[in-house]
Amino acid sequence: MNYFEVFGLPKRLNLDLSALERTFHELSRKYHPDYFTTAPAEERQRALQMTATLNDAYRTLRHPVRRVEHLLQVEGFKPDGSKVPKSFLMEIFDINEQLEEAKAGSATGEQIVALRREIEKRAEGFESQLQAAAIEWDSLSASGAPDATLKEHLSRLTEVLSESSYIRNLQRELEERS
Amino acid sequence: MPRIVGIDLGTTNSLVAIVENGTPRVIPGPDGSNLVPSVVYFDENKEVLVGNPAKEKMVEKPKNTIFSIKRFMGKGMADVRDDLALLPFEVSAESDSIIRLKVFGREYTPPHISSFILRELKRNAEAALGEEITNAVITVPAYFNDAQRQATKDAGRIAGLDVLRIVNEPTAASLAYGLQERRHGTIAVYDFGGGTFDISILKLSDGIFEVLSTHGDTHLGGDDIDDRLIRFVLAELKLPESTGDLPAIRQAARKVKEDLSSAEVAELTVERLGYRRRIARAELDTMIEPIVERTLKSCRLALQDAGLQPSAIDEVVMVGGSTRIPLVISRVQNLFGRVPHTSLNPDEVVALGAAVQADILAGGKRDMLLLDVTPLSLGIETMGGVMSKIIPRNSTIPASASERFTTFVDGQTNVKVHVLQGERELVQDCRSLAQFDLKDIPAMPAGLPLIEVKFLIDADGILSVSAQEQRTGQYQSVAVKPTYGLTDDEVERMILDSFEHAETDIEAREIIEARNEAERVLSATAKSLLKPEFAGLPAEEKAGITAAADHLTETVKVNDHRAIREAIEQLDQATHHLAEVIMNATISEKLKDKRVREIE
Repeated sequence: MNYFEVFGLPKRLNLDLSALERTFHELSRKYHPDYFTTAPAEERQRALQMTATLNDAYRTLRHPVRRVEHLLQVEGFKPDGSKVPKSFLMEIFDINEQLEEAKAGSATGEQIVALRREIEKRAEGFESQLQAAAIEWDSLSASGAPDATLKEHLSRLTEVLSESSYIRNLQRELEERS
Repeated sequence: MPRIVGIDLGTTNSLVAIVENGTPRVIPGPDGSNLVPSVVYFDENKEVLVGNPAKEKMVEKPKNTIFSIKRFMGKGMADVRDDLALLPFEVSAESDSIIRLKVFGREYTPPHISSFILRELKRNAEAALGEEITNAVITVPAYFNDAQRQATKDAGRIAGLDVLRIVNEPTAASLAYGLQERRHGTIAVYDFGGGTFDISILKLSDGIFEVLSTHGDTHLGGDDIDDRLIRFVLAELKLPESTGDLPAIRQAARKVKEDLSSAEVAELTVERLGYRRRIARAELDTMIEPIVERTLKSCRLALQDAGLQPSAIDEVVMVGGSTRIPLVISRVQNLFGRVPHTSLNPDEVVALGAAVQADILAGGKRDMLLLDVTPLSLGIETMGGVMSKIIPRNSTIPASASERFTTFVDGQTNVKVHVLQGERELVQDCRSLAQFDLKDIPAMPAGLPLIEVKFLIDADGILSVSAQEQRTGQYQSVAVKPTYGLTDDEVERMILDSFEHAETDIEAREIIEARNEAERVLSATAKSLLKPEFAGLPAEEKAGITAAADHLTETVKVNDHRAIREAIEQLDQATHHLAEVIMNATISEKLKDKRVREIE
């Protein structure tokens, strides 16, 4: 399933979110099961399926990370943990350990604040990396770059995404703690 | 399109409403009251009372007067053990994944008890509208899980209603609010009822009501405030939880709670215990502070999920009876930094909104559309007892997700799947929703079969599952066994039961009425047989009358109202001439009398 197609969009990563919302509302008014209550069972079922797909597509595309994940999936790329550099993993383990200690209650308030700042700094770093990569993808695909170039870029995106997923996990754990 | 009613099936009160000429209105019961208390009373003879007449029995007949049944919908025994401590109901030992209340040796599940309330509302609507009602929209708390929604739908089915949509209460309220007040902006609906709490954040634009996030607690409401007061009284009187005076104490607790919404000081009185105590509002506030704080925590989480600051909310709409409590109003005002909107009747706004949604479904309002979300993440159990989320909470519904499963052993033809709802990482901390087996997988080496399972949450927030083996394209049978609740077979049986009851009830009433009439006719005939006019009839006619009377006397003994009616008709025919003769005789008698008197 290509969610970009559901919205009649090319496979680009920088989207006009308010235009996306407008289209979402328009299509909802067209297909929502609420308007098919009196229709035959088949049509009702189709309205349900179409609206579910529309909602899945909107949920995916309006979220910057899920949008990238979806593009990669459509292009046949899978997240690959083995490409994450060792040095990066070591840093993550280190932060994770501090987090565990904080959870166990042995960290001071100051340490926790510092930890949070550290995680947020890295998260922001990935955000800007992802943004830059997204802009580059859009211009590459718009200018009709050769397949090999596109593939190479996508595999780089896959790596950025794999690394950032570690950071997102740390963020989630931090949230659960607070 | 037949009419569709909107029903608010509440913990404390239930209502039915309908849209007429574009305006929703609540349909009152025969006693003129818009609110039907969600109370069901059973007597020894299976006689059932619902609403106000049942509520009157709460103190006198606590064991067979069931209230607050909504708190048990879709729950297992382990979930409600604490509640039951303060409730007078008898619970069957069979209760485990569904509660079975025992009344006079008969067992009733929560959907079954709720169906009596729904049937009462159905009857009220039918009486008011003069037509049969079979279609309904029923509201549930936004934070209700799959099992609780399914239980509500089951209750509708048992009551003879086709439940066309399950709508979330705060969202329903927003429809009623949007119809009256505002068409654009971001609103928060704070819904604090008798048994549950919900907060929903919605964005309104051009008739689209889009829920951004929702949070809540399906076990937090006015009942919990009552319980605090009850425990307070028990402690003061040094009474155990098992005391038989609990219903009287509950009644007094509710009254003082309500009094304190307008008065600064009120008296808590339990006559039969000779207990009187003045309670200041500040005292109640201290007691319920932790409860109110829990609702605020939910509000903060909902705001966080919507990615909004409290100041981004244009209006806070208050729904549910518990929002009359001054402490609640002031805390909500504090959190959002604005005076909450309280001009809608907090008891009725949900039912009115349900009627609006019913009207949308019936094709009446095409310019409004509700886009709701699923309150809880849906996931499946993976290796190591970890829950893997496949549809995140606050996803717009209908929503779907696909997962691929394979086999671990050569020739394996079965794969077990465990579906869960919740936000925690470990399976044991989430709510088990259902287990199912993917069966009849073609025998292949391990890992080769590829079964794609599609999880679909429909617009009611209820899950369905379908599966297909990818290599053969073959659809797999999926037998979903719900962890909590009734199986389809059980629901069917209850529907059949209720049909049989309904039909036998009508039959019984018809027979009684026909018999009463037969007796009236027979005794009138017996009297006329003694009159001289009868003696003067031709022999054939006399024989005809006595034969018809004998026939009716025999037929009355049979349980067949149609046969009785026929026999009455026959006797009527046979005595028609006699009646005329007697009538004429009586009239000439009277004339004779008159003349005599005149002469004198």
